[in-house]
Amino acid sequence: MSLPVWRQLRSELHPEGLEIVTVALDLEVDAARSWIERSGAEHPQLVDTAHKLDELLGIVNVPTAVWVDEDGMIVRPPHAASVERYDWSKLKAPEGLPEDIDRHVRDMLEQVKRIPRFDADHYVAALRDWVEKGAASEFALTPDEVVRRSASRPSSVAEAEAEFELGQHLHHAGHVDDARPHFRAAHRLQPENWTYKRNAWELVSPGLQGPSEHYDGDWLTDIKAAGAERYYAPLDF
Amino acid sequence: MILDRLDVTPEELERQTGWELKPEGLCKEARCVPLPAAATTDGRVDVRAVAERLGMPLVHDDRYDLWALGPESTDRVLESAELPPIRLADVDGRPFDLSSLRGEKVLIAAWASW
Repeated sequence: MSLPVWRQLRSELHPEGLEIVTVALDLEVDAARSWIERSGAEHPQLVDTAHKLDELLGIVNVPTAVWVDEDGMIVRPPHAASVERYDWSKLKAPEGLPEDIDRHVRDMLEQVKRIPRFDADHYVAALRDWVEKGAASEFALTPDEVVRRSASRPSSVAEAEAEFELGQHLHHAGHVDDARPHFRAAHRLQPENWTYKRNAWELVSPGLQGPSEHYDGDWLTDIKAAGAERYYAPLDF
Repeated sequence: MILDRLDVTPEELERQTGWELKPEGLCKEARCVPLPAAATTDGRVDVRAVAERLGMPLVHDDRYDLWALGPESTDRVLESAELPPIRLADVDGRPFDLSSLRGEKVLIAAWASW
């Protein structure tokens, strides 16, 4: 989990003029609460229970970061924020799982290890460079370049956003079962959006995001179909 | 934008979608799209007409008779580099407006518990 790293970076860079705002894309506030309360962070820690950032900024997975300058201009559109120095190759399935679950978890870990990981040291160095030099930093993009790199929103994605909005509205009104057809429609309309899929899967299959009667896909099936190497867009720094 | 009826006040439409009703039509930043006069009745705007003119999806839930009006299709989600208005809440429901951070550099970090 990246929260402790953001807290540490903020304590280092806030005196230099950087504020960090973490936003949990969690339908359930309480799912994010313990992480947030334990983080000890002094920066704003928000929860986006409707995944509005997907629509507003073009986010499709986490962790994702956006850099904004002092005038409210984006200088880096959504990108995979790699700040964790974690040795993913050492990930192991916990001992003592039932055989079928154990196999599923091992298959998931195999995919996790194939997800490209970007160099956290390089990323943090780029961030420090921008905080120090501002627009003169080679890592700060011009407004035209920010727009050019921004995701497109074809009609299918716009419709996915409407379906997800309806789904989250029903979910928060307590109509959990009736929300699911709308989440399923959002998954079908924007299959590359992992935040819509993973959050919905997690609610019916906590921890595994495995197959269920409610959804057409699941994490393991979908990442195999999409290709783990395309789970995050390459970090272009 | 969640709707329980298919007409809205112009103020509500603007608050939720950023599109403002003007004499020349629906406007957002420098862009205006004409809206037929018949689409406004008694101070309320016909959402179907708005959806059609702006290319917005309108999806329905039959059981609860609710609609969601989605965003317009566009070549780029970020039509300009200016950060759009973002107002979210913390775990205790206290609202926070990202525009309150003007004057500082900001890194927005999206994460999730799942």
